[in-house]
Amino acid sequence: MTSAVTTATSPRTTGPTPSGRKGRLTPGGVPYALLLPAFVLYAMVVLYPTLSGAVYAFTDWTGRADGTNFIGWANFVEIFSDVAARSALRNSLIIAVSVTVVQTLVGLALALALHTSLVTRNVLRTLFFAPALLPPVIIAFLWTFILTPQGPLNRVLRGLGLDFLAQNWLGDSSLALWTVIGVVIWQSAGLTMVIYLAGLQGIPTELNESAALDGASWWQRTRLVTVPLLIPATTVAMSLTLISSLKLFDQVFAMTGGGPGYATETLSVIMYKEAFVSGRFGYSTAIALVLTMIVFAFTMVQLGALRRFDVDR
Amino acid sequence: MSPITSETRFTPSRRALLLGGAGFGALTLAGCGGFVNDDDGDPGEQSGSGDGGGTVTAYLSTEQNTGIEPLVEPFTADSGVELDITSVAVPDMNQQLAVQLSSGTAADIFRVSPGYSSNVAAGVLGSGGDLLDLSDAAWAANIDDGTRALSDVDGKTFAFPVARNSLVMAYNLAVFDELGLEPPTTWTELLDVSQALTDSGRTAISHGLSGGAIYLQFYVYILAGTLLYGPNPDLDAQMRAGETSFTDEPGWTEVFTKYLELRDRGYFTEGALGVSPDQAMQDLATGAAGMTVLTNSGLPALYEYSETGAEAFSILAMPAGDDADATLMPTAPDFLAVNAAATNPDGTRALLEFLAEPANVETYANTLAVLPGLDVGVQVDNPALEPVLPLVEAGRTVSYANYLWPNGDVQQTMLQSGQQLYADEITIADLLAQMDAEYAKGTP
Repeated sequence: MTSAVTTATSPRTTGPTPSGRKGRLTPGGVPYALLLPAFVLYAMVVLYPTLSGAVYAFTDWTGRADGTNFIGWANFVEIFSDVAARSALRNSLIIAVSVTVVQTLVGLALALALHTSLVTRNVLRTLFFAPALLPPVIIAFLWTFILTPQGPLNRVLRGLGLDFLAQNWLGDSSLALWTVIGVVIWQSAGLTMVIYLAGLQGIPTELNESAALDGASWWQRTRLVTVPLLIPATTVAMSLTLISSLKLFDQVFAMTGGGPGYATETLSVIMYKEAFVSGRFGYSTAIALVLTMIVFAFTMVQLGALRRFDVDR
Repeated sequence: MSPITSETRFTPSRRALLLGGAGFGALTLAGCGGFVNDDDGDPGEQSGSGDGGGTVTAYLSTEQNTGIEPLVEPFTADSGVELDITSVAVPDMNQQLAVQLSSGTAADIFRVSPGYSSNVAAGVLGSGGDLLDLSDAAWAANIDDGTRALSDVDGKTFAFPVARNSLVMAYNLAVFDELGLEPPTTWTELLDVSQALTDSGRTAISHGLSGGAIYLQFYVYILAGTLLYGPNPDLDAQMRAGETSFTDEPGWTEVFTKYLELRDRGYFTEGALGVSPDQAMQDLATGAAGMTVLTNSGLPALYEYSETGAEAFSILAMPAGDDADATLMPTAPDFLAVNAAATNPDGTRALLEFLAEPANVETYANTLAVLPGLDVGVQVDNPALEPVLPLVEAGRTVSYANYLWPNGDVQQTMLQSGQQLYADEITIADLLAQMDAEYAKGTP
């Protein structure tokens, strides 16, 4: 058996075709040939639609089949010169950074708090994770009702004598974006918590025990042992959160429609409006392309940065 | 067991690889040529229903679906044509119809917006070749001039007015009775009534602007109708000719000044930018507010919020000035149009002929508490409309201001930047300049 395997693998490194017949692949090409069916499928399902979309970004396509013209980089120039688009880009970046940072910290805190022998830990884990299971639109409508000026939240605040805290949460342009961010974090922090809980359960208990024997406090053990070993979980959690928050649409559209004014518009929201309200599908596709590039760039930078902090166990 | 060698695993030819590569190249090139229109077939050839039978697919607004419901069975019995209706809210319809038309999945007949007010308006789709020319239909002669301006392009009729909606002010009868208030007929009276309502601890005019500020436009059209289009019916033509603009025409500034006056006096719902239109309607129904502005086709929805239904409310034409006789009520046709690529054009034409019969015009109008779309001598028999019928009969109506604006983005900018105006983040001059910029882009 051993000699058979040796015989089989040796030609792959030497290159010449055993039979020497023309038109046959070299053994070195076999892996690529095996990849071909999957690549063709990938091309049909992913590359073809993506390239089609990319082409439309350079046109003035209005959604109708006729009268589409190539207009070069005009759509991209408009994105970066249009006040509304720049505002949407700024909002998308604010959402991405704040949601990613705060949600990661909240998820980590919840996971650390519930990675204990607490009797109710499973119930609490379920409660914190439950919002992540609901459709974002349902959550958005629920919070829209709670946050109306005369809604339950303000009534509770006024009932407690905290009138100064009662706000027009979704109607005040200086607050609306942060309110939406708060709702997104409220819904998704449980998902981050679950990722961290999985990471925590993979950390050998003896590491923390030996650190404790060496006299390390809880904070020192968390900072110097647990958190570094959670870098892989952090990478997953932050990447997923960053991508979903950069693309944020559902909650914004359902809670504010991008308003008041342009206060909560994101790239995804104006992409939708330009296509389906204004009929500017070419411009909308250009926005989608820019959003894709931003997501790609941010994700690569984040992965690179987190990889530097990764540690071997 | 035979030894596993590279020969027995897989030995695809170079030709296979080349073919695969060529296939991928073709796919990529196909992607680059994605917007080539190769649909050169004659839509009429797909019909197969030239005998008047078959099925007509219809994509209607929820209001249209309610209005047409009592007429579906009689139509099928009369013509042998089945109706397959899908209904959605107007904003959703406006967002989906363009895609359906582009992809060839649009219904035979569907709702279109009047004039050029959206990217799926009669003027836009008609001039783009997406709609069937209905000029030869017998009912086309019964379209009044005001409606024809919004249904026709270059003398061709592309839309059927199934009804006319009006912008009205609804008020809570119990609240008015309790405070001894009379329906206002002038701007000054409106302010007085609003002050009395405010003094009673209520919201004078319930106003919800969250989620797109749809209701902001109603005030603009009401005020502009009386203040601008009444004195100057040629305003649209002058704006299209570049003789004036939103900025240059002082009346537009007056419109928004009066709108903001209602806010500044504290008559609108507190925190209106965070209040939904539904909530505003509920406030009126519960008596927390005294008045609100809406379309008369929205009255049935308002009635559902009250235990006593229609009896709890009455309507009036909202005044904009101090000459009660000069008040005009904005009315708008609600259109149906036929897909140029309809699979059953004959059945669709038969449906419109059926809807155009006077008895059916009357049934539709009375079902929805709206005005008849066609001028066929139909008497409106709906108590809910009685207070404003004298204006209709006297011809004191005016089109919604936006219908002859050249594109839907002028309105969209007004709604979105109008929220900023409401929040005092921009000035009236800023808003009008933005609307002028969108107006200058013309019809797509």
